[in-house]
Amino acid sequence: MQGRVKMKLLLVDDEEKFVARLAERLALRGYQADWATTFEEALAKVGRETYDIAVLDIKMPTMSGIDLKKRMEQMVPEMKFIFVTGHGSEHDYDTVCKEALCCIIKPFKIEALIEKIEQALTL
Amino acid sequence: MTQNSGGRMNKEIGKICAEGFSFFGKTNRLISHELKNILAIISETLGLLDELVELSEKGTELKPERLRSMSDSIIEEVERANGVVKYMNTFAHSVDEFIGEVDLNKSVSLMIGLSKLNPISKAVKIDFPETDSHPIHTSAFFLENFLYHSILFALSAAGPDKHIQISIHTSGNEIRVTFLGIDPARLASFPAAQTALLSKAIGAEISFDDASGKLQIDLPQKMTGGPIETLPIRLPRD
Repeated sequence: MQGRVKMKLLLVDDEEKFVARLAERLALRGYQADWATTFEEALAKVGRETYDIAVLDIKMPTMSGIDLKKRMEQMVPEMKFIFVTGHGSEHDYDTVCKEALCCIIKPFKIEALIEKIEQALTL
Repeated sequence: MTQNSGGRMNKEIGKICAEGFSFFGKTNRLISHELKNILAIISETLGLLDELVELSEKGTELKPERLRSMSDSIIEEVERANGVVKYMNTFAHSVDEFIGEVDLNKSVSLMIGLSKLNPISKAVKIDFPETDSHPIHTSAFFLENFLYHSILFALSAAGPDKHIQISIHTSGNEIRVTFLGIDPARLASFPAAQTALLSKAIGAEISFDDASGKLQIDLPQKMTGGPIETLPIRLPRD
């Protein structure tokens, strides 16, 4: 697996198996990836740790990824965001991705997410 | 029927049809969203498995229990997807017969299943005990549309216990669907306009018990005289 400058990511998705395995795969590639399955847990982690990027599921129970991004931005203005969505159509993509700097549709290849991570850091 | 009342009726029928199409579209989006989530889990699990095998080929130990846990996880997700596809298929059959005999029990179960695909439901427990069949003569599709909105309302307005209980009882010529566990302060916001329209269409009567947070829906065993019966469409079976 390739080495990489340590970058800290927070992955937030209510699908625990998805987010836990994605974190492990990113860790194998040299990223330091934490994960959370609720917005409360995610906000608590952002309060305790410094993350470069948050990867947020758009559709989560009780708080959308878009609202969660706004809360996190208030706490850490320099944080970057990538949205992940299970919505499937071009129409959905345009609608949900308007607010995001980067957006990616599930299921995706990990290389596509890494490309988005690298892009987000240059914005 | 006067010209004015005929025009009102046509507008009402138009609104009911529009709501029906919207419900069909929303349900399809929920199902595709869920299937994409399942595919994403399977994709990440297989991706991780592939990487762990690659590492093991380079000398890192790969424990059999780790492999077992990942293969179990894939089996679970395949079963989950199969359940979703079963809902999708059962729901697609709702329009086979526009008006006919429907088992309310099965319709409530199906709509609870579909409601569980909505992220809002993940924070709320929902109980519906299995009972004998409760046959009613109605429009399966619009009944399900109405039940879906009612269940979603109950989930979004759940009280502090976040636990909704649904039950069905027969009384005379009516069948009652009861929802318990709703925040009493939220009851007044039910039904929203489209739900009220659907309740009228299938002849459902809505009542509340403010003190206990109980929502009751009485359905006629045989729907008669509502706007749906005048709809000028009959959908083909095949």
